[in-house]
This record gives sequence, C-alpha cells and structure tokens, in this order.
Amino acid sequence: MTVMRTAFLMFAVPVLLLAAALPVRALDWPVQKRIIIGTFGQDRGNRFLDGLDIGGGEQEVRAVLPGELAFRYDENEDYTSMPRGLGSFIVLQHDGRIETIAGTLKKGSLGPLKTKYAAGDVLGTSGDTGYSDGTHVHFSLYDEETASFLNPLSLLPQVASTQQPVIKRVLVSIGDTTVTLENGAKVPHGRAEVIAEAYDFRQDVKFLWPLGLYGVRMSLDGKEVSRILFDSLQEADGRLSLGSGKLPLGSVYTTEGLLRCGTVELRAGSSHLILSVRDYYGSETTKEFSFTVRE
Amino acid sequence: MKNRRPASVFFTAVLLIVLYFALFPYPLGKELVAKPSWAVDIATTSSNSAAGDLPGSGDEGISPFQLGDLFGYVGPEGKLVHVGQRLFQTALSQTGYINYTRVGTDWIMRDPHGARLLAFSGFGYPLLSPDGRRVLVVSPDSTGLREVDGNGDTAWSRDFPATMTSVSLQGDFLLVGLLNGSLQLLGRNGRPIFQAPPSPSRIPVIYGCAVTNDGAFIASVSGLEPQVLTVLGRNGLSYTGALREILSTDYRREVRVGFSPDSRCLYYEDGRGVGLVEPSSGRTSSLSFSGKLAGCAFLKIGGLAAFAGRDGGRVDLRVVSPFVATFSSETFTAGDFFLGTIGGQLLLGLDGRLLRVDIKAL
Repeated sequence: MTVMRTAFLMFAVPVLLLAAALPVRALDWPVQKRIIIGTFGQDRGNRFLDGLDIGGGEQEVRAVLPGELAFRYDENEDYTSMPRGLGSFIVLQHDGRIETIAGTLKKGSLGPLKTKYAAGDVLGTSGDTGYSDGTHVHFSLYDEETASFLNPLSLLPQVASTQQPVIKRVLVSIGDTTVTLENGAKVPHGRAEVIAEAYDFRQDVKFLWPLGLYGVRMSLDGKEVSRILFDSLQEADGRLSLGSGKLPLGSVYTTEGLLRCGTVELRAGSSHLILSVRDYYGSETTKEFSFTVRE
Repeated sequence: MKNRRPASVFFTAVLLIVLYFALFPYPLGKELVAKPSWAVDIATTSSNSAAGDLPGSGDEGISPFQLGDLFGYVGPEGKLVHVGQRLFQTALSQTGYINYTRVGTDWIMRDPHGARLLAFSGFGYPLLSPDGRRVLVVSPDSTGLREVDGNGDTAWSRDFPATMTSVSLQGDFLLVGLLNGSLQLLGRNGRPIFQAPPSPSRIPVIYGCAVTNDGAFIASVSGLEPQVLTVLGRNGLSYTGALREILSTDYRREVRVGFSPDSRCLYYEDGRGVGLVEPSSGRTSSLSFSGKLAGCAFLKIGGLAAFAGRDGGRVDLRVVSPFVATFSSETFTAGDFFLGTIGGQLLLGLDGRLLRVDIKAL
C-alpha cells in the first residue's frame, strides 16, 4: 500500500509541477473538432500510444502554445534516413523544455518554413500521411526535463463527456485457473491477478470504438491495492513504460488487450473487491464484488 | 677558337638533354574522361516484372535504383533485372527489397529478381541496411526499433527516450539520433555501445547522423544556435571528439550526413552545397551548388565522388576528387533523379532512363 502510494506520488507530483509550470490556461486544443479516436497509453499491438489521435476530418492544426520550430518533415518531399510513421509532422519547442509534436498532417500542408509560432498559428492540416488509415492528427507532448511523453489530456482543457467508461467483465486468475468475478462467486485462494475488460467510448459514433482509460483503482476488503494512471510514458531499460512505476506494456495489458488491474492475495473467507475506472473526462464507473474465497 | 668552345658545349648539352628525355621519358599526367556506357529506358518496362536472369544467377555487380515511383535492379551491362512500381514506399538494398503499403502489418522481403526471401509481421515500417543483411522495423510513432532475424522473428527490440530523428545503419552498427539531442550507438544485437549526450545548443535536436561501416567514426549535425557538426572517433571502448565545427546553417529538417565506404570522407549538407571532412586528419573542403543535396555516390576510380544538388527541376552534378579538385560539373533538368554506382562507376537516373557513365584515366 505504502509502495503504491509512493509510486503514485512519484509520477503524479511531476505532472502536477509541470502543469503548474506550463502556461496551462494558454494551452488550447490543436484542433477545433475535438474528436478523440486514440488515447494516450492505449495498447497499439506492441506498444503504448505516446499521444492522442484526434479525428474530426480535415481541419487546421494549430500551435497549442507559443513556440519555435525544432523539426519538420514533409512526406515524400524532405530527405529522410528512415521511414516515418508520423507522416508529415512538425515539432515545436516551448518554454520549459516542452515539445509538442503534430503528426500525420496532410502532405504539403506544412507551408513555407517558419521558425516562430504564436499560440493558435496554423501548423498544417490534419491528414492521413504516415502509418495512418484515416484523416486525423497525432498529437504528442514531450517533457525534455523528465524525458517523458505526457498525456495531453492531462493538460488540455476538458471536453464534455456523454458516456461513462465501461467495466464489461472482471476475471481473477490464480495459477492456471481463471474465474469470472461475480457477486456470490466462489474463487480459489492464493495470489491472484485481476484482469478487466474495461474501456471508454469514442463520443461521436454509435458503434463501439473503444478508447483507453485515464485511471484504474482497485481495493480489496477496504484497502487500496493498486492504482494505474495513464499520465506519462518514459523509457526504462529500452522500453517505453507507463508512469514512474515504469510499467511495461505487458504489465498493463494482456496479449488479448485486457487490462491488468493488479494482483491481490486472496485468503479464505468473504472478500469484497472494488474496481473503479475513470475516463479522461472525469467520468468514473465502479463495480463492486462480494465473493467467497475457498479454503 | 675562343668562340667555338662554348658552342660545342651548348650543342652537347642540348643533345644530352634530348637523349635523356628520349631514353627516360617523363610520364605526363593522365586525363580523366567520362564516357556514357549505356542508357536504358525503365519507364516503358512493365511494372513488377523481372526482365533478366533467374533468381540467384548473375547477381554479381547489379545495382539497386529508385527513380520516381519505379524501383529495381540493373546489371553492369545495362540489363534490367527487375523493375517494380512503388506501393507506398520501398525499402531497397543491394540484396533485396520490401515494397510496402501505407498501413501494413505483413511484409515480404524479395531478392533482386522478385523471389521471396523473408516474411515477417509487425507494426510500423521496414528499414534495410544497404547490404540487405539487416532488417529492422521502425515503430509507427518513431520511438522504437526492432530487428528481425532470418526466420522473421524478433531478434531484439528497443524503445528510445524520445522520437527518432535520424538513423544510420552500417555493418554491425546502428546509430540513432533523437529529438532530445542524444545519440545512441547500438551493436549487432541492439546492445548499447555508446551514448552521446545532447550538445549545449539552445535546441539540441539531432538533424542528421552517420556511422562508418567499421564503427570507427560517428558524426552528427545537431542543435540550433549553434548548429554543430560533431565527429567522434573510437577510442578504446568509448568515442572521443575528432572534430567539432560550428556551422552557419539553421536546418530544422533532417540533413544528409554520411561517410564514404572507406570511411575516409564525411559529407554533410552545409547550406551552400556539401561540406567534406577527412575524419582522420580533420582536413575540410566544400562544394557549392544551388538547392538541396539530392544524392551522392563514391566511385571506385581514383577516390572520386559524385554529389548532386537539386533545386526544383534543376540538378547540379559534380564529380570531384574530395579535398583535391572538381573533375566535372554538369547541369541537367529532370523531374525524377537518381544517383548511384554500378561496377564502381556512375549510375544516373533521369526521368525514366538509367545511364551508366564510365570515368577512365586516359
């Protein structure tokens, strides 16, 4: 418990400090239509998504803060020594050693070379260059000081949410046995991993387009046992890892893309597990399970 | 009598000199002559076709080319081995290619004749070493690399602390330049060999990097205010500064930086054309032309090199003996342009045509 709290503080505090250091009120969305189609920390097959994918069709992408051009690449126009999944992109450096990256911009929309940008200046048009199969902008926020990608949604003005995140099912895995957790269930004792199918919804479509979550909290018998925040990614031992807890992809997601919520020690008797998931808009969904742990 | 002696001495001296040059002729310097060897039209060759020999036969001396949307391989006598239409991009090497779509997860590496060499899967885009012996995959967000083994499985993978801006893959060495200004040199198995911290520039981005085939030197163009060319030489287990030059440039895009195959010459975009450095001695030189550096090729004759600058449709080609003299300057007008080598000689691609130019000393 103490370790988890310390770990949480270790990565929450730097994000809060950064938020305090940045002219947050001046930081605005890079696009007008704020349709999020990919969230920070989402499982992208073999890696975490290091930014935000924002849909909404072709629209102007703007600087979120005043900044200076640090790097730009226009697909099939500029020289490159490597294939670039970011497509046409622009990197701006801002005060406080913060960089913003706007990628998958429409080819040729970067305009003539310009070195200084005011907040709100047009960087380009959202497009489908790079490793992209639909028009969107890939937006990342990088903090040079901590060498971390930060969740842009932690720092951008909040958008309204119309749907609660979902906990579709919760599984308890003990050794080779996996049990679906329900009220009144009987589960074996021992060290168990709690796995959940939980996600948020893309807000603008009727069909299911699952998005990642912002936070996961789990408690057992009144004690908080784990907490995951999708706030920052940083390299550790050659892997991009989540938060200061340095959780690699395999510690956060199963190969099927389910969320690894944490491990608990199940002792014989009655137990009560509470799982809460929070989306980026502040909406929270909680599920509680009262179950019996067998001898 | 007094007047005859000097005259006989004079004539004898002239005779001896003539005799000397007749018996021991002084070799005059040879003149370099450029002569077109052949030209072949690739635009009319049907796409994705093998026009040459069977797989594996006669691959000696063939060269890859990429001209506009077409790519392929051509033999030293001008015989097209393969011509293909680029899908989204093509990873091209001496011994194989991968022609891939914009969003794919399954790739096939084929030999110069189009025969399948290797199949593998993943997310991102493939990257081949110039000799084709190493196959890497760059992650979609450009923060990670993965090397694929001969079975298509992952040999190693690595994420970097910031977005990659430049990569150099030569022999057993892989040099990665990052947006945060650091350089990471990795060995054959992805093991970190050396890491250079960011330069003290105001904005320390790596704009270009290169490693020699033997790993003896690494170089980078990095930073803004100032923009700096740094060359480091291997010194035991580490690398130490061989040269640091403040540049007058203000590039905010990737710039071309590379070494000659024999590691004797480093070239980089210097704002006016191309800058040249001999890493071992620190000797420098430069060539000026308009536009961006569009290609370079090191020939196997007299240490010559060819550099091309491109400004819109105008292509300036210079064939030089680095640090010594410019041998030839030509200007072309071309929509599509390619510069490479074939049989150690010059291979040019101009608007659907490939042209071999042989440079000989006569």
